[in-house]
Amino acid sequence: MKNINMKSIISGLMAFSMLLFFSCEFEDQVDPNNPNLQQYNEDATVNELNNIVVGMESGMRNGLALYVTSTGTIARELYLFNADPRNTEDLLGKNGGQLDNNVFYLNGPYNGSYTNVKNANILLNALDNTEFVSDQEKAGYRGFANTVIALQELRVLNMLDENGIRIDVADPDDLGPFVSKEAALAHIADLLNTANTQLGNAGSTFPFDLSTGFDGFDTPATFTQFNRALAARVAIYREEWGSVAGLLTDSFFDPSGDLTVGPKHSFSTASGDQLNGLFKIPGNNGDMIVVHDRFIENAEAGDLRIARKMTERENAASQDGLNGEYETALYPSPTSPIDIIRNEELVLISAEAKLQNGDIPGAIADLDIIRDYAGLDPYSGAETENAVTDELLKQRQYSLWCEGHAMVDLRRYGRLNANNLPIDRAGDQVFSEFPVPLTEND
Amino acid sequence: MKKQYLVMIILFLMGSFSYAQEKVIEGTVVSASDGLPLIGATVVKKGSTSGATTDLDGKFKVEISEPEILVISFIGFAEKQVAVNLDQSGELIIRLEEDITKLNEVVVSGLASSVKRSNLGNAVATVSSEELTGITNQPTMDNALYGKVTGVNITSSSGAPGGGIAMRLRGVTSITGNNQPLFIIDGVYVSNAEVPSGLRNASGANSGNEENASNRIADLAPSDIENIEVLKGPSAAAIYGARANAGVVIITTKRGKRGETRVNLTQDIGFSTIQRKVGIGQRDWTPSLVEETFGTDEVARYNAAVNGRGLIDYEEEIYGETGLITDTKISATGGSEKTKFYVGSSLRDEEGIIKNTGYTRASVRANIDHQFNDRIKFTTSSNFVNSTTQRGFTGNENEGGLSMGYNMAFTRPWANLFPDEFGNYPDNPNAAGNMLLVRDQAINDEVINRFIQGASIDVSLYETDQSFLKFKWNGGFDSYNLETYVYVPEYHQAQRGLQNGFIGVGKNSIFNTNNQGFLVWDNYLSGGSLQLTSQVGYTYLTFDRDLVYNQATQLIPGQTTLGQSGTQELDQTLENVKEFGYFAQQEVNFEDKIIATLGIRADKSTLNSDQNQFYYFPKASVALNLANFDFWALDLFNQFKLRAAYGETGSSATFGSLYTSFQAVNIGGSPGVSVGGLRGSEDLIPETASEFETGIDMTLIDNKLSLTATYYNRNINDLILQRALQPSTGFALEVTNLADLQNQGLELALNASPVQNENFVWTSTTNFWFNRSKVTRLDVPAFAPAGAGFGLGLGTAFIEEGQPVTQLKGTIDGEVVTVGDAEPDFQTSFFNNFTIFKNFDFSFLIHVKQGGNNLNLTTFLTDLAALTGDLDDASGQERTSNPNTDRFIEDASYMRLREIALYYRLPESAVSVFNGAVNKIKIGASGRNLWTISPYTGYDPEVSAKGGTGLSTGLDVNPFPSTKQVYFHLALEF
Repeated sequence: MKNINMKSIISGLMAFSMLLFFSCEFEDQVDPNNPNLQQYNEDATVNELNNIVVGMESGMRNGLALYVTSTGTIARELYLFNADPRNTEDLLGKNGGQLDNNVFYLNGPYNGSYTNVKNANILLNALDNTEFVSDQEKAGYRGFANTVIALQELRVLNMLDENGIRIDVADPDDLGPFVSKEAALAHIADLLNTANTQLGNAGSTFPFDLSTGFDGFDTPATFTQFNRALAARVAIYREEWGSVAGLLTDSFFDPSGDLTVGPKHSFSTASGDQLNGLFKIPGNNGDMIVVHDRFIENAEAGDLRIARKMTERENAASQDGLNGEYETALYPSPTSPIDIIRNEELVLISAEAKLQNGDIPGAIADLDIIRDYAGLDPYSGAETENAVTDELLKQRQYSLWCEGHAMVDLRRYGRLNANNLPIDRAGDQVFSEFPVPLTEND
Repeated sequence: MKKQYLVMIILFLMGSFSYAQEKVIEGTVVSASDGLPLIGATVVKKGSTSGATTDLDGKFKVEISEPEILVISFIGFAEKQVAVNLDQSGELIIRLEEDITKLNEVVVSGLASSVKRSNLGNAVATVSSEELTGITNQPTMDNALYGKVTGVNITSSSGAPGGGIAMRLRGVTSITGNNQPLFIIDGVYVSNAEVPSGLRNASGANSGNEENASNRIADLAPSDIENIEVLKGPSAAAIYGARANAGVVIITTKRGKRGETRVNLTQDIGFSTIQRKVGIGQRDWTPSLVEETFGTDEVARYNAAVNGRGLIDYEEEIYGETGLITDTKISATGGSEKTKFYVGSSLRDEEGIIKNTGYTRASVRANIDHQFNDRIKFTTSSNFVNSTTQRGFTGNENEGGLSMGYNMAFTRPWANLFPDEFGNYPDNPNAAGNMLLVRDQAINDEVINRFIQGASIDVSLYETDQSFLKFKWNGGFDSYNLETYVYVPEYHQAQRGLQNGFIGVGKNSIFNTNNQGFLVWDNYLSGGSLQLTSQVGYTYLTFDRDLVYNQATQLIPGQTTLGQSGTQELDQTLENVKEFGYFAQQEVNFEDKIIATLGIRADKSTLNSDQNQFYYFPKASVALNLANFDFWALDLFNQFKLRAAYGETGSSATFGSLYTSFQAVNIGGSPGVSVGGLRGSEDLIPETASEFETGIDMTLIDNKLSLTATYYNRNINDLILQRALQPSTGFALEVTNLADLQNQGLELALNASPVQNENFVWTSTTNFWFNRSKVTRLDVPAFAPAGAGFGLGLGTAFIEEGQPVTQLKGTIDGEVVTVGDAEPDFQTSFFNNFTIFKNFDFSFLIHVKQGGNNLNLTTFLTDLAALTGDLDDASGQERTSNPNTDRFIEDASYMRLREIALYYRLPESAVSVFNGAVNKIKIGASGRNLWTISPYTGYDPEVSAKGGTGLSTGLDVNPFPSTKQVYFHLALEF
């Protein structure tokens, strides 16, 4: 018996071996963990399209905090004291060092922006190849997608400035060239106009939902107001002063209204969601956004923005030879939303356009709206272009502190340099733009 | 060993035949040094497979019908040949000398065959259990190899108990893929994965490989190992095909021996302390220095501390513990003619040098061999391991306030981190976390339950005196559950108001199987002068992983389970890989003079873009034993062998490289998808390595001296690398085959037995090796591989055509330049063993690494915090005034007393007082890494902050400091 069993086991094993030897065909592999990009190329469903829309709204926050702290450090708005010393070395040009072209403070915001541009391009491509949504619905998706692309590209351009950016990135195997800053701005303005037209054909509702951050801006009609607000921001960057008033009219600009109104990036503790990276634990050590002392020293007495946005630390912060008494209080909690653009900025844009168009009293009137909101008396300085320009830039810096504007604004007026900004440590430098990322070279 | 079984099988068969006109030769085989009989020695008629093995008294009988030459061999002894004829009378006494040259050792040559070392065409290193664990206590198998085998380079990502080792054989073989050798234990492909615990989600570390997880080969109890064979490159490992690019480590565990049951009990007790402190915060503080460095406000805090608690050396406070190590091993071995067994169990309990860190490993092994009948033999090898690791928090991080080293780097000696009378820990005023709170109240544990099972069946299908055909099957599985648990209390200062407490629970199951079948045909032609061994077979491998990670934040105060939280996150990663291959090999041995091997393996894998495409890996080797030829007249040489070998192997991309996928994202509770960082590659092929190796093996002066020299040249083609894409494509990375890499090196080993007499035996081994690499093709611009550094400013590995793959680049005055190279210039080790008056054993191993740079970013951080000990000296001032990367580059050369031991075996007279209850007693003391000289200013020159995967070279970021250990040993045999 034993022998027979043994033999059958052995024969079985050998037969099994032979079977394997001759018939082992593997099946096609699919990613068991994630949805495949391919499935969006043809006949994408509404659910699939809406998943990308959510991905895009979520992706608009990618790299945002680093964009704000990195440009803000260069513009001497703030210091980021955390575990990474390059925030206080590279960005401030310590000891004559240069900005790195392959490092988090550049790659984070840069890659985050283009990832979202890619999401938008996938959405646009999917719309061209699906029958599941109507043309009107498609116009809504497209208007949303092009607005997001414009916002993302503008953020990259704000960092790279004269280096220009790539605008033709739909085909990863055939990227377009870097185009000049002027061409890029023109392209961004065109994109916003295209989106504006598309939103106009999108009917009364979007076929998708946006988060609570877009409450009040979540229909084609109201989203258009957001689009036009961005167009107004681009117009002042392009110094197309004449077009600003019209763009503001079509936006949610309301000089007598609530200055805090505007679409926002929202945050939550939901699984997979992000927290507000610009929130810092009050009084914490080791990870803090410290207000550059010049904001405290130069503040007009009674400016409520100091109390609203900043708080004095119990222990003054010091790291790497830098010191600060105040830290950020801009966001009360890690789920506080971050404004994308708000009425306060639109009022400032209005003031700037008026100033540049020679309407100095009009500009001062707008600036007084800002001053009033900040608890300050109306502007009483000289009513000259130079003096009001100084006032405008000052109000922009205080109203938009730690929101990613200071570097661009100072640069636009030729003030992003050591003549205009304090050098905190001997050997520090003021950079005017970020380099092209190392990996962006062909 | 395998060869011996074959011989025995044949001998059993021979028993049924009888010859006329025969003479029975009787004899005894004894050890020349002590005259004791050798049990199980093989006595074979030269040029045939027939012969005998010695019995329990060392006796044998061989029948001859004509004059013959008997070849007598036994593991660990030099082979001897004795001429006998029909007139032979009386009993032969054959004395075998101990073999320091290992010529007679049997070494793997194919998946189902082995060959005597003297006939081997490759340089295959073998490490015996005596060499591995006989000197001092070894926490893990891989660490135990360092300095004992040429061509090995080892770095450690953590000095924490429980491992964290990266092993490189003959240099780096892959840029992003697998650089760790394939580990095979008793025929089972075992996992050496490092599975991250997710603590980066609390600490802010950049990636899983910065979590310093332990590597899973640490689960194997070193005491179970009989020997380790190291196939360092494709020329030796080609038959392992598509998984062997980084070499193969074949581990054979102890098996039963025929004879009385022997029980061995050993008890080791050891003490572990930090190798060296780097002096964080140890400046000559004065109020004026404090004011100058930190501002006026700080002086009051300094003065308060000086007048109160005093300045605190937090390095001593955290790393200053003495860890107690106990290691208990008990094993039993024995067997009858039919069934043999080895049963071993061990319990290791090791405390780290940081309080609340440690490692406990309980291992049980049962290896059974059963001769079912004269044709069929089974073996089974079972190993169960339960291990628990308390890793603590060390290494790189960002703002999490968890890594004790990272936060210590910023903590001023006058900061008070000690808990108050109510047990409340103050916040760290200088960093994101209080190290004492983390040490005492945060948790980072791993628990492993692992079962490794192997089995084999050998069937003799057909045999004659001149040939036999055998079917052999083996297979097994490696299955483990790895549970990780990370807990950070809600009152930790970096948690309050943000995550409000953190729990990360990983439930990971890993299941690998392998299944292989072979036919082996041995054939002796021309009267035995030509031996042919042919084999064909298949292998089928599966690798399944299911990694589930759960995270909870916003904890209910004091609660430590997932549900007691406001926010939960889930993640699951599945991986399933199947591989299938065929192989065939032909070996030819002409009178032990010319030995040639030709083989090929064909493999396909679901990791490749075409999962049914076979890739072919050929091999060929030839060995010329010149001293065996008749023309050889130099009696000085016992062996003079020239050998050359060529082989190819492969390595597939890591799982997931083929796919361009979305990843799940969320905003405000709505799920969405976003492009992931990786652009999949549709036409990815495996990277393939081809290696040519040539060498010379000499043994001379009556086997007292042997020299092995090997040169190798390995080209790795179509290297898989994660190339950074232009980020404007929307993708960060793409996996491509766009580079070639060359590794060349030289390995020398000199074994000597200068004195061998009754009262003094001295054996000595000197190893010397180096490797040079060069990127020979790069079809993309030079780049810094992701995760192999922290950007050019701080120094990074940099892949560049014409340069070593291990080079470190940085910036000097804004220019990108090479600032160092992690590859050592050379390494050498010197091992000596002295046996004095038979009862004393003294041995030591010295290991020298010359050259090779580390990037000391620990110093970078302490410089930033103004706490480096040398900041008031010239060296510190020079460093801090230099804005360039080269200020972090340090020479990581060292000379290290890796192992030293003294043992005393009690003489028989002393042992006999136990009335035979105890056979042998050995006591001893030993040490590991007791003494190091190095210009390196960090904790340990063997450092790697980025785990075992990828390049992982020489990055020092606040690691768990390396330790030195002292042990006391007691070993009893019953």
